[in-house]
Amino acid sequence: MSTIDPPARTEREQQARRRPTDDGRRNGGGWTREQRCELLAAAPPDDVIGLAERAVAEGSPPQLIVGPEVGTVVVQVREPVVGDRFHLTEVLATRAEIDLDGTRGWAMRLGDEPIPTLAAAVLDAEATARRPLADEVMALCDRVADERAAAEHQEWSVLAATTVQFEELDR
Amino acid sequence: MGYAAARGGLAAVAAAEHLVRNARRHSDAAPLQVDQLTERQRLAVDRVMSEGSLWAPALAAAALIQAEGDIIEAAQLLRSHRSTLPRLGTTEPIDPTGAPLLRRVVPAYQNPPGPQLLGRTVDYSGRLLECRPPASGAMDDTADETVVDVDVDITDRSAGHGELAGNGHRAQEPGADDAGAAEPVIAADGLPRCGRLLDLLRDLDLLVDRRRRDDPSPYDITRDPVRPGVPRSARLATMARAETGALVNLWYRNILGPDDHLHEVTLGEVRHARLPLPVTHPHSGRPVVVGHIRVTEVEAIEDLDGPEEDRTRFDAGYGLCAGHNERKAIAMANLDIAVHRDGGRSGLEQSVLVTTDGLDASGFLEHLKLPHYVTFRSMVERKVAMAARQRHRRTAYDDGRPTIGERNAPADETSSAR
Repeated sequence: MSTIDPPARTEREQQARRRPTDDGRRNGGGWTREQRCELLAAAPPDDVIGLAERAVAEGSPPQLIVGPEVGTVVVQVREPVVGDRFHLTEVLATRAEIDLDGTRGWAMRLGDEPIPTLAAAVLDAEATARRPLADEVMALCDRVADERAAAEHQEWSVLAATTVQFEELDR
Repeated sequence: MGYAAARGGLAAVAAAEHLVRNARRHSDAAPLQVDQLTERQRLAVDRVMSEGSLWAPALAAAALIQAEGDIIEAAQLLRSHRSTLPRLGTTEPIDPTGAPLLRRVVPAYQNPPGPQLLGRTVDYSGRLLECRPPASGAMDDTADETVVDVDVDITDRSAGHGELAGNGHRAQEPGADDAGAAEPVIAADGLPRCGRLLDLLRDLDLLVDRRRRDDPSPYDITRDPVRPGVPRSARLATMARAETGALVNLWYRNILGPDDHLHEVTLGEVRHARLPLPVTHPHSGRPVVVGHIRVTEVEAIEDLDGPEEDRTRFDAGYGLCAGHNERKAIAMANLDIAVHRDGGRSGLEQSVLVTTDGLDASGFLEHLKLPHYVTFRSMVERKVAMAARQRHRRTAYDDGRPTIGERNAPADETSSAR
């Protein structure tokens, strides 16, 4: 029997695999900061931009700390045979970081999306600082999570019909 | 044309490029849109992203349009674009086991842990060219669309209790707390995830344990040269962005061709899955999943039979590439275990590392089309000089005089030359 614990499946790697709907950390209508960033990264561009424009209009203007910067993120995988880490590919991504009245907001989204990413960073700070639109940011996250769960359920409901058990031929 | 010793012709070059752009822009057919390719030509877009080594569907589709469907040219455009971009960071190490499944077949095993999920495929169907365009002129993909209403209990754990296919030996009894039953088909978030055949083979003590205790950083093939002797992480990264045809050809010439360094393996896992991308949050230090990419993953189970190998166990090779490209991932997994078993005895590792990059290979090939006037003139001059020398020798021989090269040569050499 195997006696060596593989370096993969560390608690941190397990944590990275969890999704907002996985672990019951969503409570009282709130999300952890990491869950919020994940959902803002998946939110429709128009939704994050519209809400961020209102946040900026109702408060002081955000100060740009980083970007928005378009670049690549290296995808690092740990393969299961030996446990080697290797670079699979790179992904196009945009990141931004702002300061809103002393609270830092950070965001990263896939693709060349400077404006939606900047807007997501504003909303991250808005929620972190519990500013007036914080509840609406959480509501947007709720909606994104629900829509994503529904899409995944729909996808799986179609895929499930392709589950198969082939039979062996009798000689 | 930095390589070629030629210049000028700019007007003709511009006119030639104009012909390409003009034909692309002013065809009688409607212009191609990026979303047409990302939605309807996903396998071509996936290949461009995988070989261009940049996951960016819209850019890959735009590259395909610009390249008029030439996948290697599109991959070249994409990889060149990538080289202009700053690197923002690296994801945390991702364990693909947890990636939600879109397709998963286990050819080695009838009842593996988790489902055999065919997913979106025509692998098991007869295919004929569907060449009956409707009146609109567009191929009608919806004409024979049927809704399959199958009642499948996707939470059924009874499928997957480790019955070895082929010999009827039951590795685990139904209902036993084996690896398959311990990990549900459907995870807590409602998405299909499952363990690996590798884990089951490990539990049955049928797999050579090569798992490492250290954790070296991955080799970065975009920063450091790739030559034989590099770590396995460089080999995997090289194959992950290699040209599909190059990997398939290398596999095939080793199976049926003259190289003969490969066995025909049995495939453990063939998966198409959605891989989460966790990056470290700069403030909290905890992982944030910023998105997902689709990947194809393969485990190749190798039957060890070498004199110095453990013949009571199997070994495994691994293939993983961006997008949906099973040919590529299967060839990669085969070559991974083949290079390991070869141990540097042949040139297989060098072939994998140095000859499978499509952009390298096609770039070298296509440079042959550029003006080579100077090098070829030099060759012509050498030929002319050699011919003149031969004529001189022949004349001198006929006259019985020593030739130019023979005047100072030793006597025995001169005589043997005659």
